[in-house]
Amino acid sequence: MKNKRSLFALPYVVWMAFFVVAPILLVVFYAFTSAAGDPTLDNFRNMGDYLVVFGRSFELAVIATLVCLIIGYPISYWMAKEGPRFQRIAMVLIMLPMWMNFLLRTYAWMSILENTGLLNRLFAAVGIIDLGNLINGGLNSLCAALNGAFGLSLDTTRDTAMTYFQMINTSGAVVLGMVYNYLPFMILPIYSVLVKMDNSLLEAARDLGADSVTTFRRVIFPLSLPGILSGVTMVFVPSVSTFAISRLLGGSSKMLLGNLIEMQFTGTTYDPWLGSAISLVMMVIVVVCMFVMNRFGEGEEQAVML
Amino acid sequence: MNGKNRMGSRLAMALVFFFLYAPIFVLMVFSFNDSSSRTMWHGFTLDWYKELFQDGIILQSLYTTLLVALLSALIATVAGTFAAIGFYNMRRRWRTPLLTVNNIPMTNADIVTGVSMCLFFVAAFGLWNAFAQQFNESHTAQLPSLAMGFGTLLIAHITFNIPYVILSVGPKLRQMDRNLMEAAQDLGCTWMQAFWKVMLPEIKPGVVNGLLIAFTMSVDDFVISYFTAGPSTSTLAMTIYGMTKRRISPKINAISTLLFATVLLLLVIVNLREMRQERARKHPGAQREISSRRGNLIGAGALAALILVLVLLSRQSGERVVNVCGWGENIDPALIEQFQDETGIRVNYQTAESNEAMYSKVVMGGSGYDVIVPSDYMISQMRQEGLLAELNFDNIPNYALIGDAYKNLSFDPDNQYAVPYTWGTLGIIYNTTMVEEPITSWSALFDPQYAGQVLMINNPRDAIGVALLYLGYSVNTHDEGEIQEAYELLRQAKADGVYQSFVMDEVYDKMEAGEAAIAVYYAGDFLSMYDNNPDLAYVVPEEGSNWFVDAMCVLKDAAHKEEAEAWINFICETQSCLANMDYIWYASPNAEALAQYPDYYREAYGEEMDPALYEVMAAPEEVLANCEAYDALPAEVNAVYKNLWTELGIKG
Repeated sequence: MKNKRSLFALPYVVWMAFFVVAPILLVVFYAFTSAAGDPTLDNFRNMGDYLVVFGRSFELAVIATLVCLIIGYPISYWMAKEGPRFQRIAMVLIMLPMWMNFLLRTYAWMSILENTGLLNRLFAAVGIIDLGNLINGGLNSLCAALNGAFGLSLDTTRDTAMTYFQMINTSGAVVLGMVYNYLPFMILPIYSVLVKMDNSLLEAARDLGADSVTTFRRVIFPLSLPGILSGVTMVFVPSVSTFAISRLLGGSSKMLLGNLIEMQFTGTTYDPWLGSAISLVMMVIVVVCMFVMNRFGEGEEQAVML
Repeated sequence: MNGKNRMGSRLAMALVFFFLYAPIFVLMVFSFNDSSSRTMWHGFTLDWYKELFQDGIILQSLYTTLLVALLSALIATVAGTFAAIGFYNMRRRWRTPLLTVNNIPMTNADIVTGVSMCLFFVAAFGLWNAFAQQFNESHTAQLPSLAMGFGTLLIAHITFNIPYVILSVGPKLRQMDRNLMEAAQDLGCTWMQAFWKVMLPEIKPGVVNGLLIAFTMSVDDFVISYFTAGPSTSTLAMTIYGMTKRRISPKINAISTLLFATVLLLLVIVNLREMRQERARKHPGAQREISSRRGNLIGAGALAALILVLVLLSRQSGERVVNVCGWGENIDPALIEQFQDETGIRVNYQTAESNEAMYSKVVMGGSGYDVIVPSDYMISQMRQEGLLAELNFDNIPNYALIGDAYKNLSFDPDNQYAVPYTWGTLGIIYNTTMVEEPITSWSALFDPQYAGQVLMINNPRDAIGVALLYLGYSVNTHDEGEIQEAYELLRQAKADGVYQSFVMDEVYDKMEAGEAAIAVYYAGDFLSMYDNNPDLAYVVPEEGSNWFVDAMCVLKDAAHKEEAEAWINFICETQSCLANMDYIWYASPNAEALAQYPDYYREAYGEEMDPALYEVMAAPEEVLANCEAYDALPAEVNAVYKNLWTELGIKG
């Protein structure tokens, strides 16, 4: 009886074999094959050259994940404390942008951040750019004075004739895009853990004399760890592999792993073998990171998603 | 928690919501802007909505997005629910590893999922098509050849949706009392009956939730679709991504606003319903029955509305289709309409960003396109690799109209494979108000004086080409040392911060808006930018430049060769060439059309065409004498270009 019903999973298992396992194996196969079809390790030989890209991608993704965590955790915490009606509306408001495609959300930032964009127009209108020029001028003369007095070599060439702040095409813009797009993925899992937390545990902690900081540190935070781990995964993985955000907001001069991979498949330097090798390395690093992180949260329930 | 604290936390939440919604709000406001500017308000209009509903490509991709989301969500929900039941009844020994595999698409980076499926489809279809060809030769039956398209897109979406359904249904199954099913069957139900009457109502919240998540994920996806949809199918996200690489139209804002409003409306309805249900739960009785029935009604209504939208959006797909891949902003859309009206052949017009990207798509995407419009050197390369089909010129009588200067060129010495479409020069476009003195040399592209003001072209052949020209070398050099030197020049300039970014068709918006002072781009595109910003100027630098011919070719494995030739023939007509020249400002190789254009201009605009502008479009002999066409490079030189180009991207 029991085994018979398990056959319900059979079609899906076959499906997975074809469309999940076989494709991944193919990536591995391509990574170890040359264009002519011979087995080779050449695709990995130049991996050292791409270290910069790996470094930059992981750096930006880590920053974005941390920012998401720093913003997302308190928001989830406060949300979980509100009344049910407030919670529901807040949840809907957080989910709502996800129904607009993420490219639309990224695109929205383009017109805000451009040199002649809305933010720069706003800054110019209220005089912030002039203020920036003034401060730079002040700093320049201060540095010049200091240089003269103490023989230092401080920078005195700050731009004093800015007409805009450079925001688009910077790493900051890329991080902003990541945070903006993936913040809901951090809030949702943390919130869903916090909201299910048994209130009597907190009361017990308080009864046993813990102050609110101790309660948070010893009870709430450890219990919310699965949510955090899940949130971190859901923000970090898409951030480290994005190519659209860096393309739209980073101006393609700050190449990330996603751009490097995309270039090899549909972009300007057709080389799916190299692309597969880079994908494989990225996949392995991400899996190792996740494994280490989950060990760190060991003993807790497996990460919950959504 | 005291009131003061709560004020603080609510303020913080309000700030986060402001952060989440301010950009969306901006997007929506500018959908009503009476100008194509995305940052300056010029008054209220609904024109963009009108244009949106006339834009076949956007509507078609919206249709694809909704259809694939609906189908994949429904299929994934049914399949995922049964799979979850199967897993639930499975021994742990089997269940644990299978669930790990099931989690792969959820935890793996989207790009890896997309790329891996892309490789899989290409490999599988390659095998199948080879087999089909053999089979068709020896049998009378005709097996179809397969290519990536809607089918592969759907498979990909189902694949990444099922795990979410399992994740959502699984816990509900675990919460359910196992004895319930047995009790039902003891009382005489078959398993199926028990499933419908006992199990399904118990797990329904999980199933509905799974359906919603699947639908959301599908609508939100871009990366996986991008790699699996093939060249001729496009979701809304892909269309938008393509558009952000060109001139951005506020039509995108209009469609965002519509999507947002629809979703908001749906969510308000659902939430009102839930609140009412909650209230009803507090006063149990007859009310509950009614509200639940009404809930089902609303659900069915929403589904029906969605299907209605799909039906309205779906176009009568005629039997005859031609898949064309050209450049962005490189055809008059009216010509597409006219061809469709005249012949009844539907044109599926896609764009590629650069020759290299087009090549990748052709090789990677299998056999989706019929007609492609690569440039000279890429035609040589594709011809040598056997990717192109010999044309049947009986079907292209208008080929006779093509000028002799554009025949027997090195990329197609015997005029077998290509029909020239446009020609022009590569040069520097600059904003006269943003530079001190007129630019005459390629040196401006490497000059730290213009730090942050230069838009470098984003393809290896042109970028390395202009560096070679500046150094006084041939653009066709095979000398690795010279190419290396050119690369070094670009790398140094990039390190000095000269380049604001590397762009292709993004150049339109940026130069027109004064975002940058200097750009490397093509003559025809300068003219269309000049139309919107008369401060711009174009120069073919004194060191000389590249002159190019873009030509229409048919791919060897094109499924619609006859339609493709009909399209090519139509485009060669003098009237088509004139209309197209007027729209895209690229010179036509149709000698008659090129000569007639100034008259055409006078008639259309009631004024003489500025001869200087005509000379930019159709460069005169003395300019061309200083220009060199690109030849195809041997494979080892191509490899050098590729490596250096990747390296340039990484550095800095």
